[in-house]
Amino acid sequence: MKYFIKKISHHEMWSFSAICSQACSIRVQSARAGLILLTGLSICFSGCLKEIQPSDAITTEVLTSNLAGLTNAVNGAYSLLKDHVTFNGTEDANNMYLRQYFQMSSFAGDNVVCAQVTEDPLFLGFSYNHAPTQANARYFWYISYKIINDCNTVIEAVGKDSTANPNPAVQQLMGECYFLRAFCNFNLVRFYAKPYTQDSAAPGIILRLSTNEPEQKARATVAEVYKQVVSDALEAASLMNQPRGVIFASKEAAWALLSRVFLYQGDNKDCIDYSTKVINSGRFSLCTADQFKTMFANAQSSPGTLFCIGFTDKDDYGKFGSIASMIYSDGNSGWGEEYASSSLRDLMSEHPEDIRWSYIVPLYDADSNIVLKNGIPTYYDTKFSFQGGSPTLSSPIMFRMAEMYLNRAEAYSKTGDVKDALDDVDAIRNNRGLGNSLYHGILPGGTTALQVVLNERRIEFSFEGFRMFDLFRNNLALVRDYWGYHLPGLVSSSIDLSVKPQGYPNEIIQPNDPRIQYYIPIDEVQANKLCVQNP
Amino acid sequence: MRNKLLAFFLLWSVSTQAQVQSRLLKGLVLSEKDHSGLSQAIIENEDGKVSLTQNNGSFSIEVPNGVTKLLVRSIGYGTKTITVQPGENDITVTLQELNQKLNELVVVGYSDKKKSELTSAVTVIDSKKLNDVTSDDIGSLLQGKVPGLYAVNSSGAPGSAAEIRIRGISSINASQSPIFVVDGIIGGNFDPNDVASVTVLKDAAATAMYGSQANGGVIVITTKRATKEGLTVDAKLTTGVRFPDFGKIKMMNGSQLYNYQKELYRDYIPGDTGNSYKIDLLRFYADRPRYLDSTNFNWLDAMFKPALVQNYHVSLAGKTKKNDYYFGLTYYNEDGTFINTNYKRINIFGSNTTHFGLNSSLTNNININGTIGKSYDYNDVYYAYLNLPWDNPFDSAGKPVYVDQNVPFKWWSRDKINPLQTAENSNHEYKGFDVNYDLDLNLRITPWLRYSSTNRLSAAYNTSSDYYSPVVAGQYHGTGFLDGTGELDYGGVFNNLLKFDFTFGKSQLSGLAGVAYEIDKSQNMGGSGRGLPFNLKVFNVVSSNLALTGSNNEAEIMSYLSQVNYNYEDRYFLTASFREDGSTAFPKSKRYGSFPAVSAAWLVSNEPFLQNSKTINNLKVRASYGITGTQDIGASRYLGLFSLSSQYNALSAATPLQLASPDLTWESKHEQDLGFDLGLFERLSITIDLYHNITKNLLLQVSQPLSVGFETRWENSGQIENKGLELALSSVNIRNRNFSWSTDFNISFNNNKLKSLPASFVRTDSWGNSQIYRNGGNLYEFYLPVWKGVDKQTGAPLWEQITTDSSGNVKGRATTSNYANATLEEVGSAVPTLQGGMTNTFTYKSFSLAVNAYFVSGNKVYSNNLRFAMNDGNEPLYNQIVLPKGYSIWTHPGDNATNPSPENNANSTEPSTRYLFNGSFLQIRNISLSYAAQSLAKALRMEGITFSLSADNVYTFTKFIGQDPQVTITPQNFNMPGVDDFKYPNNHQYLFTIDLKF
Repeated sequence: MKYFIKKISHHEMWSFSAICSQACSIRVQSARAGLILLTGLSICFSGCLKEIQPSDAITTEVLTSNLAGLTNAVNGAYSLLKDHVTFNGTEDANNMYLRQYFQMSSFAGDNVVCAQVTEDPLFLGFSYNHAPTQANARYFWYISYKIINDCNTVIEAVGKDSTANPNPAVQQLMGECYFLRAFCNFNLVRFYAKPYTQDSAAPGIILRLSTNEPEQKARATVAEVYKQVVSDALEAASLMNQPRGVIFASKEAAWALLSRVFLYQGDNKDCIDYSTKVINSGRFSLCTADQFKTMFANAQSSPGTLFCIGFTDKDDYGKFGSIASMIYSDGNSGWGEEYASSSLRDLMSEHPEDIRWSYIVPLYDADSNIVLKNGIPTYYDTKFSFQGGSPTLSSPIMFRMAEMYLNRAEAYSKTGDVKDALDDVDAIRNNRGLGNSLYHGILPGGTTALQVVLNERRIEFSFEGFRMFDLFRNNLALVRDYWGYHLPGLVSSSIDLSVKPQGYPNEIIQPNDPRIQYYIPIDEVQANKLCVQNP
Repeated sequence: MRNKLLAFFLLWSVSTQAQVQSRLLKGLVLSEKDHSGLSQAIIENEDGKVSLTQNNGSFSIEVPNGVTKLLVRSIGYGTKTITVQPGENDITVTLQELNQKLNELVVVGYSDKKKSELTSAVTVIDSKKLNDVTSDDIGSLLQGKVPGLYAVNSSGAPGSAAEIRIRGISSINASQSPIFVVDGIIGGNFDPNDVASVTVLKDAAATAMYGSQANGGVIVITTKRATKEGLTVDAKLTTGVRFPDFGKIKMMNGSQLYNYQKELYRDYIPGDTGNSYKIDLLRFYADRPRYLDSTNFNWLDAMFKPALVQNYHVSLAGKTKKNDYYFGLTYYNEDGTFINTNYKRINIFGSNTTHFGLNSSLTNNININGTIGKSYDYNDVYYAYLNLPWDNPFDSAGKPVYVDQNVPFKWWSRDKINPLQTAENSNHEYKGFDVNYDLDLNLRITPWLRYSSTNRLSAAYNTSSDYYSPVVAGQYHGTGFLDGTGELDYGGVFNNLLKFDFTFGKSQLSGLAGVAYEIDKSQNMGGSGRGLPFNLKVFNVVSSNLALTGSNNEAEIMSYLSQVNYNYEDRYFLTASFREDGSTAFPKSKRYGSFPAVSAAWLVSNEPFLQNSKTINNLKVRASYGITGTQDIGASRYLGLFSLSSQYNALSAATPLQLASPDLTWESKHEQDLGFDLGLFERLSITIDLYHNITKNLLLQVSQPLSVGFETRWENSGQIENKGLELALSSVNIRNRNFSWSTDFNISFNNNKLKSLPASFVRTDSWGNSQIYRNGGNLYEFYLPVWKGVDKQTGAPLWEQITTDSSGNVKGRATTSNYANATLEEVGSAVPTLQGGMTNTFTYKSFSLAVNAYFVSGNKVYSNNLRFAMNDGNEPLYNQIVLPKGYSIWTHPGDNATNPSPENNANSTEPSTRYLFNGSFLQIRNISLSYAAQSLAKALRMEGITFSLSADNVYTFTKFIGQDPQVTITPQNFNMPGVDDFKYPNNHQYLFTIDLKF
């Protein structure tokens, strides 16, 4: 054999092939046997195909078969609030539950002014030119239901176990799922249906309470949705007894949700009860003026945070994907095209000492003049910035202590309990640098307690997505009689900041305007024939 | 040693015959015309024993001692009787060719066939016809040359590949592209310069042999081999320049924009009283100082430049008695017309065939291919179009100026970005290599039985990265950004076949049976991070936001295949094949699918009554029926899955990924074909094919109501019907001593329909553009509000609103200015119904001129660019296109305009038929002029020197208002089929080539 190889090494450049061919020509002697062997071999080593499992995913059955898997699934429900999930084949930086939650709510109120028209669907919040095709409302709907599906999967998997799992860790997880389902359904019904206080029999949203119900399903009424939300939140509160920190739901978060839901329902008594429960829980406290200044940068460690969504460095989505990029820019960190409105600033102007001014950051040029963008003064908002110093990172707060006071204040004001309402408002003002401007139970002339509370809510929760709902559920009109690009056809040279704009449509949106509801996304209406579209 | 071996082998061979008084006679059968060896020629001895020649024409046969006779024949050639004297050996027999064209060998499936034997719809393009256009992509080279093959150059980025569809689109969510079979093995890598011929298999008679992967048709690539004895060297050197083709849109210059923007200052508040409808010039001048009128910067010119293309190819080929070899080396270098883009490729191909024994051979092929290139960022192209001509990207020193939100100078463009500065300080690099090694063994077992083993091992590693220097403006300013991924793909294909070939009397029976196995694995890894000091760009230096990605993939296919061909007197042909495939893409009980096919042909021209016809030199009727399949949808689509690729607060998080579909299985395409081949006067050949294909059990991502938490579920659902007619003409119009003119023309009609869907569903992209999938509708059918122009009185946009009764009947049609009330309507498909091409070739003495045109019709193309670039003031600080002829902007009540008032434009740029155009076009694909310098070659003792000049993508005739009507037809990220969205523009290309033959 040695000789054999030596011999053919003369064979120029194709020696390797020559070896093979020589070797094969030897095999000819036993070609038939070899042939059978070869064919047999290829059948053998390939006859039984493997079961191939994905490398970064796991089947639902395996996942839900143990506590670690269930915990992953519950964590997943939270992460969907911040992830950019592929939608329509695209992973789009605009598509994030929270980013859209804030643009669909805050931008449709009167605290935020639009300084630039844009093709981005965030603009539709300002213009109220909603369409069933608008990308933000479509993705928000989709992800809400993905979270609900995730929660339902866990609830069903645990429910299957007939021993009614006594493990408190599992109960906590179950409770978080009930909470998140309630939270998502409540946000959905607020965006896509009429306010409860206007018409609770109107079509609400589709209630998905199981993973294996028919795909075709009609919308429940607003009242049915609220009922489900309340029952889920109550279930959640009773199950959650092993708190995992403020970036996860807890008993108090469920109570806070109930406080908000009852307020929206006009159930003042229950609102007062659940607000009080949270206030008296002892686990949280109202931020002091000092604490408030850093509350949003340090949401996870702030004593006033009841529940926030935990973002880490890895979730710093920068210019294209962060919430902050829409309303703040250090020059490069964001688009920074939406500012604090003059109407909000006017309301706050009486109290320059108000600590809440610290979140409104004007941009000045070299001559200390306010920078105008297309004629609109630049007042950034930083409630979604500066976690770990990053201009585009925060852990957005979903529930905080101040809301409990102001929910209760509003409920008191509606029950005629002016004193308690004003005391709760004072509790806030006292911690916002307004210790010298408290009401002390005395309503200023020409106002109502509700007006006082709503104004306080407006300032306290600006940019946090409250305002549009606070107006419409109280049957109040949205008045945007200030310069901004919500006014159709506006050009910057028409802007005269010393007067109010005159004659433009879109300055006032009535609470009965059908456009205060977003359209049900086109994808749902097309695929679900039982789902009726909003007018 | 070798002699010993041979002797031993012969001994074995002889002993098996058990004929003591016979001897072994060796010989050659050659074509009379060019003395090339004839393969598969039949040699019959007096006893009726038969032997076949191998590829080089050599044969051996036992003959009785003493004087004996041999009958020698070959399909397409005459028959000869030879008398052999005792002791005579190494005889040479030449046969006269009956009809040259019919004898070309065509590589189909797992075997070669003569053209005359074909029973299926097949188009062959040889290297000469292929390489008129210069491209690194086979799809571009095939465009317009194959009836039924639709190739779309949807991007002009360096190194980009055309999208190819054969006989319409027959899948929705599974792969629609044809598979490539290189040198007999599925998949593989090759260089277009090393391609000897491309065979496009179009009907199931040909494709069903590839079973589960053949739904999209099959493109068989045959690489070059040595064709004659001795060494042949060929060097082809091409160089030239490319220019971007911006198509029909022209962006405004500074002055045009200045005048246009006055329209935004009309004194008009919709609904208000006392509007004067006059342009408020005072306000205008206050906002837009007059110097802007004469400020003009052309962004497209700054970001797109003429670019160099080079292609160098050298090949060596040679042949000895025992060995054929071919070696090819290609270097291709294409600069992009867009700033900072390019593509370079080097390809090395070596092939060697050793002949041994009787009709046995062993082939080794190796192909190594390395690629380096730079891609681009979509945003940079976007801004090249949309930044305003009032901004100058350069400072006084000619360097790109840094722009961000807070720069002290006025930057007019909407977004505070200088794309030139970004492009200069960023990189989108990719690199990769790919190795294939083929080992083919072809072994004679008995005169009628062969064993054929074709095997390939392949491995590829591809990396890509994006790098932004800390000096760029935007989110990476100050930190820089790096991301990168690397993917290793490896696998193998192993085919083991037994092939038989009998001749008895006037009949010939051949066929094969065997086993094939394919495995593919891949793994990828990647990361991203920020904080890159000193412009360093490796992960080692990343200091923040570090993130990692990685996943693996695997797929296997196991196949059993067989085929039988019967030929009677070269007049009647019958082929039947059967393949059974198992794929790991499906659940265990649903893995295997069967793919049978049957076909027949009648070569009428070989009938006695036509055999000597001077008019009809070829006439054949073909018919076929068969089933192919698709399984190419990725792994594990049938499982209900949670993804573990996200995290919450640094904890593992599982998110719902996929709905379970436990019965998911093959999609299968049932294909019928009827074909006619006609050859007249030895000058004109015509091929007509009619086909009717139905894809059943479509692997479909069925839209779910979003409220279930998933967009889609994989199901076997619905059907697509494709019907069509293909016509190919090839004609030698004039053939003189000095002058010839020939024409190749083809045209194909295709009609597709969706059927049997459980319910219609709609796909909507992130811009809100929709397409509907409905029974009776076409694939990729746009579903948009119908644009009704502009309200004469208010200048508001109008769409059609249809009112229906409860049972869905149309009650009335009206117009609305409320976009949300507009009715979505079926408004045409992105799939063309007609396409074709024509090449005219003229030769005069040593000059040759070829002109190639390509045309497409019947499709719609959506210009998403216009959403930005003709936006009615919705985005006033984006540059706009110069309004095309016939377009106008509404200015006052009563004005009959095409474009809404910028003051009353709510939702005017939302998806509608406003931006949907007829996608028809006619393109002059290529003009090339070449000169064969024979006397110079003679003087230099070379075999040939050819100089040629060519122009590619010369001009496109179209009504489409956009970059180019050639847009993607593949549903993919960011883009819907038929939607044009600031693509990398295609190129005009002008080249000079020298081809040297030694």
